[in-house]
Amino acid sequence: MRTRVGLSIIAFLFLCYMLVVSARAQDDVASVSTITTADPAANGSARVVPVTTKSAEARDLYIHAMVKLENLHGEEAMQDLRKAVALDPDFALANVIISFPTIDPIVDPAEQVSAREKANAAKSKVSRGEQLIIDWITNTTEGHMVPAIQAMNEVLDEYSNDKHLAWLAGVWMENQQQWKRAIPIFERAIKLDSDFAAPLNEVAYCYARYRMYDKAFDAMQRYIGLLPNEANPQDSYAEILRMGGKFEDALIHYHASLKIDPGFVESQLGIADTYALMGDESRARTEYAIAIQHARSKSQAANWTMNAAVSYLREKNFSGADAAFRAAARQAHQDDLALPEAEAYRMMATYQVDSNTAMQLLKKAEAVLDEKHPLGAAARQQELALVLRERASRAARDGKISLTSTTLQRLQQMADASQDQNIHLAYEGAAGALFVAQGKYEEAIHHLEEDDHNPVSVRLMVTAYQNMGAKDLAEQSAKMLATWNEPTLEQALVVPEFRTREAASATSSFKRM
Amino acid sequence: MKSLKRYLLVLVFVACWLPCEAKHMAVVVNKANGTGNVTAADLVKILQVNTKKWPDGKNITVVLRDPSSPEIQDALQRLYKMSSMELNAFLQSHKGTFLVVDTDEALLKVVESNPGAVGLVDVYSITSRINVVKVDGKLPLEQGYVLH
Repeated sequence: MRTRVGLSIIAFLFLCYMLVVSARAQDDVASVSTITTADPAANGSARVVPVTTKSAEARDLYIHAMVKLENLHGEEAMQDLRKAVALDPDFALANVIISFPTIDPIVDPAEQVSAREKANAAKSKVSRGEQLIIDWITNTTEGHMVPAIQAMNEVLDEYSNDKHLAWLAGVWMENQQQWKRAIPIFERAIKLDSDFAAPLNEVAYCYARYRMYDKAFDAMQRYIGLLPNEANPQDSYAEILRMGGKFEDALIHYHASLKIDPGFVESQLGIADTYALMGDESRARTEYAIAIQHARSKSQAANWTMNAAVSYLREKNFSGADAAFRAAARQAHQDDLALPEAEAYRMMATYQVDSNTAMQLLKKAEAVLDEKHPLGAAARQQELALVLRERASRAARDGKISLTSTTLQRLQQMADASQDQNIHLAYEGAAGALFVAQGKYEEAIHHLEEDDHNPVSVRLMVTAYQNMGAKDLAEQSAKMLATWNEPTLEQALVVPEFRTREAASATSSFKRM
Repeated sequence: MKSLKRYLLVLVFVACWLPCEAKHMAVVVNKANGTGNVTAADLVKILQVNTKKWPDGKNITVVLRDPSSPEIQDALQRLYKMSSMELNAFLQSHKGTFLVVDTDEALLKVVESNPGAVGLVDVYSITSRINVVKVDGKLPLEQGYVLH
């Protein structure tokens, strides 16, 4: 589900960063006894950011943490990093890593703030490259994007031979949704080391996003070639193939992933999602059931249960969807999981024909968020923003402009007080919906373009373009929607209509020939 | 999560498919320029070359990437509140007034070396060798920033 994007993005950045420095640390294993304090860039020799610590043991722990992170054992790595900073409280990079917010509930926000403060306090004791990284990452987490970007570009410029740094910057760009800018940065990392697997994985996704599938497949095949015994490359390749609409090939590679690692449950989910996108919803539900059975947490199981519920929508079996979402909400309630419970009610609201029912469900979702559950403030705000967005959009569609404006105002206040991109996007989507309802199409486009990753907003863009007489843009957006292969609620709500239109258009073109 | 890809997927699929990346254009000036904030109205006057000098008396040089590029067109249209046709007519009538460069890097170099220069550049290109000016009290990537 897409509702916890912000946290996942932060978590992803966090992991990526750790992987970057991990790889660097691995490169440095041979010189582990040497505690780097000098800055190689200062004399123009090795243009690679050093890792400074006064404790060989801390460095060793750091290296091991990085290896674990590379193998995607994040929690264990965090334990090692904590030990490392206990041995060397001035270990700036390790502290900066710990300071990142994560989706891991065991990481205390107070610990993150403390680690960030320690990293900043140790800044004067580390190399310039590390200082710039601290500035970059700290400013990012504090929402000071201009100095963050300035620091990132400085460190990239000064340490131009650091492939891991380039990779990190590429990942950061991805997190900022700047895929076009990420591509040359990843390519730079690959150019520095053609056997560097990580950027191949990521640049493939960037190319795929621009539908440059030949390049995406090429990068993925190289990625698989470098890591033939790992499941993730097969899984990633399958995802890219699915993005390109090659569903059968995607299934082959998901199965290859599971053959390498039967415990790689994300590939099982991938199989289920692929069947769902192929329109074989019954088979999809069977596969979802297997994935849910093997989920690593109740939260994960709850999310995947909702993917299964969405499969009923694809069949236009609304009563089936209602039953599945209600069951998901009940289970989430029993498991004390407020977020999926609220999500289930909000998702149900999106496809209700009767607006009163929809509004009641949204009220229920909001009420769940107000109950006493173990739920982080950021996750709560993100979900609340989505509830408000849905309420505003529904009200706009029903011509209830006053309710739309009031809800939008509330959403805007949330956006103004937050750096959370998801809240901003929720506001933009809702504002776009209001302007479309008012017939103010240019204003609508201005907002909807900001939320152009969401099929619901893109559908509104099609409407706006059509009403503005921008036929080409409307067709372009409609075609985009017709080939949108994302296994989400929004895709299920919007895309089938555009696929049908596209197919009808293709048939009529064929007949004319 | 066992998969790095899982995180990546969220990123890629969430922002799925459309080759349209929101651009925030930063207003950049020379490091020696003490201007920290301009109003959108004053910025229009500067970029339309109606205001020719900075408060310290230095001549203003406006540096732009190719004004026909979509991101510059978009930024200027929003700022000038002009249609595409009006903007093109304006640019035609002011040919030679702006210093036009090919890349963000070239633009930053001009601004770095010219104390009176002001330019519009993709915010993700900025370095600390130039200053970024707030517009109506807001920096790029802040909610409500005018040049996006």
